[in-house]
Amino acid sequence: MKPPPRFATWLLKTFGHPDTSEEVQGDLLELYDHWVETVGQRSADWRYSLSALKLMRPLAESKIAKEYPQPHLLSPEMIRNYLKIAWRNLVLHKAFTAINIIGLAVGLATCLLIVLFVLHELSYDRYHANADRIYRMALNGRIDDKDIQLAYAPGPAGQALLRDCPGVEAVTRLRKEGAFLVKNGRDIIKEEHVAFVDSNFFSVFTIPMLKGHRVNALVEPNTLVLTETIARKYFGRADPIGKTLTLGHLGLFRVTGICADVPSNTHFHYDMFGSFSSVKTGPKWLASGAYTYLRVRDGYSINQVETISRGFASKYIASEIKEFFGTDYSEFSQKGNGFSFRFQPITSIHLQSNLDDELEANSDVKYLYIFSAIAFFILLLACINFMNLSTAGSVGRSKEVGIRKVLGSIRKQLVSQFLAESVLVTFLALGLALGLVLLLLPSFNELAGKQFTYRALIDGWMLPGIVLACLLIGLLAGSYPAFVLSSFRPIKVLKGVIQTGTRSGWLRSTLVTVQFVVSISMIIATLVATQQLRFIQNKKVGFDKEQVLVLHDTHVLGSNVNAFKEGLSKLAPVVRIARAGFLPAGLSNQSVDGVQVRNGSQVTIHRSKGYYIDEDYLPTLGIQLAQGRNFLKDSPAEKSNILINEAAVQAYGFKNRAGESPIGQQISIVGDGTEGSKHTYTVVGVVKDFHFESMRQRIAPLLLFYGHDVGQLALRIQTSNIPGLLRTIEQRWKAQTDNPFTYSFLNERFNTIYQSEQRISRLVSIFAGLAVLIACLGLFGLAALTTHQRTKEIGVRKVLGASVASIVALLSKDFMKPVLIAILIASPVAWYAMDQWLQDFAYRINIAWWVFAIAGALSVGIALLTVSFQSVKAALANPIKSLRSE
Amino acid sequence: MKRAFLGEFEEVVLLTVAILDEGAYGVNITQEIEQKTGRAVGFSTVHTTLQRLEEKGFLSSQMGGATAERGGRRKRFFTVTSAGRRALQEVKQVRTELWNALPPQTLQLMGG
Repeated sequence: MKPPPRFATWLLKTFGHPDTSEEVQGDLLELYDHWVETVGQRSADWRYSLSALKLMRPLAESKIAKEYPQPHLLSPEMIRNYLKIAWRNLVLHKAFTAINIIGLAVGLATCLLIVLFVLHELSYDRYHANADRIYRMALNGRIDDKDIQLAYAPGPAGQALLRDCPGVEAVTRLRKEGAFLVKNGRDIIKEEHVAFVDSNFFSVFTIPMLKGHRVNALVEPNTLVLTETIARKYFGRADPIGKTLTLGHLGLFRVTGICADVPSNTHFHYDMFGSFSSVKTGPKWLASGAYTYLRVRDGYSINQVETISRGFASKYIASEIKEFFGTDYSEFSQKGNGFSFRFQPITSIHLQSNLDDELEANSDVKYLYIFSAIAFFILLLACINFMNLSTAGSVGRSKEVGIRKVLGSIRKQLVSQFLAESVLVTFLALGLALGLVLLLLPSFNELAGKQFTYRALIDGWMLPGIVLACLLIGLLAGSYPAFVLSSFRPIKVLKGVIQTGTRSGWLRSTLVTVQFVVSISMIIATLVATQQLRFIQNKKVGFDKEQVLVLHDTHVLGSNVNAFKEGLSKLAPVVRIARAGFLPAGLSNQSVDGVQVRNGSQVTIHRSKGYYIDEDYLPTLGIQLAQGRNFLKDSPAEKSNILINEAAVQAYGFKNRAGESPIGQQISIVGDGTEGSKHTYTVVGVVKDFHFESMRQRIAPLLLFYGHDVGQLALRIQTSNIPGLLRTIEQRWKAQTDNPFTYSFLNERFNTIYQSEQRISRLVSIFAGLAVLIACLGLFGLAALTTHQRTKEIGVRKVLGASVASIVALLSKDFMKPVLIAILIASPVAWYAMDQWLQDFAYRINIAWWVFAIAGALSVGIALLTVSFQSVKAALANPIKSLRSE
Repeated sequence: MKRAFLGEFEEVVLLTVAILDEGAYGVNITQEIEQKTGRAVGFSTVHTTLQRLEEKGFLSSQMGGATAERGGRRKRFFTVTSAGRRALQEVKQVRTELWNALPPQTLQLMGG
């Protein structure tokens, strides 16, 4: 029979009175059938439609109060119920919950620490007012196909910029002159962090002036501004304004101001700021330098400033080129040489600038990426754990879902229930994580070289951000289990058909694989980094760095230094003593000079490092001569002789001419351009290459001049009683001077150069450990669940005669597959990444195959250990117990 | 107690429900009225009247069990409440009194 008009039915259904909807529809349908029989199809349709139309009550509302009202999904009662049930569930499965929470907490804590670190790194120099308009001017040069990239600019460059560019609002300069022995009355203290700055320094940089005039404090020569901490160190509670300090050879300085301590997130950290006029800066562009900062006017772009600065080379430097290099500017630039300026936003200096002579060793944005990636991956691992364990645990809860559905739970409520559970777990983990972070903060500070306090966690947007992020993590991690669990069909579940389809099993294996890819990559990275560090620390440096004691600042002894040296050399444990301005790995007097080498008729210019040594220097350090001779003792003629290293021989082209020896060649030093500073030297010897700088760089050309630079004394010693020797030397030192007695050991100094690499490698290894820990926690939980599910199967197998070993193998096999796949994926990825990292080193290891073997074996071993803990337990269980309960 | 007022059609519907006793629901009430009175009444009119009578308390209703026909939809069965019965009796009494008050000759004339 034909159904009644659809439109009328729809009308009735939609706009009829809700309270009588059912019976009215039924009645009309019945009548319709009756009408069709009695009055025919057409009239029936007509009557039906007319009735439907008349029965429309579009505005009617149901008057019947529902007997069992369904509360809203997110009503307070429901939320309370979700949380209560969630809590009961967590308490019921204690071990399971513990694994979940601990894994997540470790992940969150790691992530939090890294976020603190990364945020701090990103905040460098952003606190200055108008930080976006402050730039540093730096010099780029190209001489004889060599690029020079300096962090500072020529001394007069800043003023020229202020003169020539309308867009430059202010220019301020900073010079560092090395360490100073600061004398306050009778006390002498060595200060490493002394800078000399223009008077407007505190107007450009936002470092508050606590006492003294912000603008006028540093106008006069020999005036000094101290930071709060340093002022307290010297003057205690007394007012330091107007007091005086003696700064090494620069004489008496008057304290005219106190400024706040330089914030830790600044690319320089100085404790004392002298006035710029206290130190001399030459007027020459090519022989003077100062760190030059400028602030551009609002609305001007730095590109305009840069465009104007392009003219500086021809305008200001051209005349000096004639003077220094002896060639015309046009000829000079024709050879591809030239000078230009770069302008770095101040906020980018800490992370992106890696020029020669930076104020401080800067960080590298690369490490930020690495750490952010690590944080992300560790968090990912923890979330995967969470998802895996929850979905795996779903089998145990399928009955619950079935019952809930039968009793009228709608799907949304079930989803909310499971989400509430995961959010609850996340927040429990967050609480634990915050505790962990507070506990670990001191050691993390030491490791990362930062000073975070608990305040860093609650400042500003940090805490709301953390809570929000956790909520998000909870929802995201919980969403998969929530939707899988709530999709169970109640009838099937209650009949006992277990729905752990291949789909979720496949997903779980994939997730485990991802976890192990991350862990294994990190293990490989750790192994390679450690190997490289050991390699550079043990590589032959070209001299004997063991048993060398270095006494610092011996120049304070003045004319007594030779007598002091003679006295020390009579001590039994002291083998030899050298006076040295420069010793490898440390702050020393070392100069960079322009070198002219006459090569037949051609004159080439090089830039080489050099320092003064005496005749004892080479034997004391154990540096070998390749050709020629060492300096002779007490011979004034040696002043015009010079030693060079093998790298210099190569660079200057002495080797290219067959049959000619470098011995006897002439080398001229350009000096600072004045007539008196030009010297010509004769090469008398070639020393074998030795590492006088970090092993990141290739050994550079080096000039060794003869002279008595008494900045430091190097003592080759041979004793097992080092403290005794130090005591003796200190007594002699104290007899001579009031200055502090400081010393170091050469091999220890060498190790400190690689501090940043060691730090990174230590951090990475710790994170790798954590990643493995989290992955294993996940695996452990998963293994526990699957073995639990297979209890009966194991019982039957045992009854039928399976051995313990075969059952362990059976259970472990499933978990080994993802780990093996992970090894295959992780190896090439980690190889590529670490190869990139090693490119930074001039001397590097090759990544050996056994690194991958070890990492693979390690991860398989750990995984096996984790799984076997469960599988052995299951295999040893008495089958009677598992089979009896039916 | 205020006397209940019953409209003419309401009275017919109420009576029909009473006649059908246990099994009175929308369809058979409509059909019964059509059959007995011979006038064509719309289902919607009957339905509305039933609702009104229930509101007035003369009828009560409950849903029946599921049915095989009419798309499985249930029927709403109506029964006359005691108030409904009283109202019917009152109406009848008023009519009877009125009939009785009619002089016999008039009745004869009408009958003629």
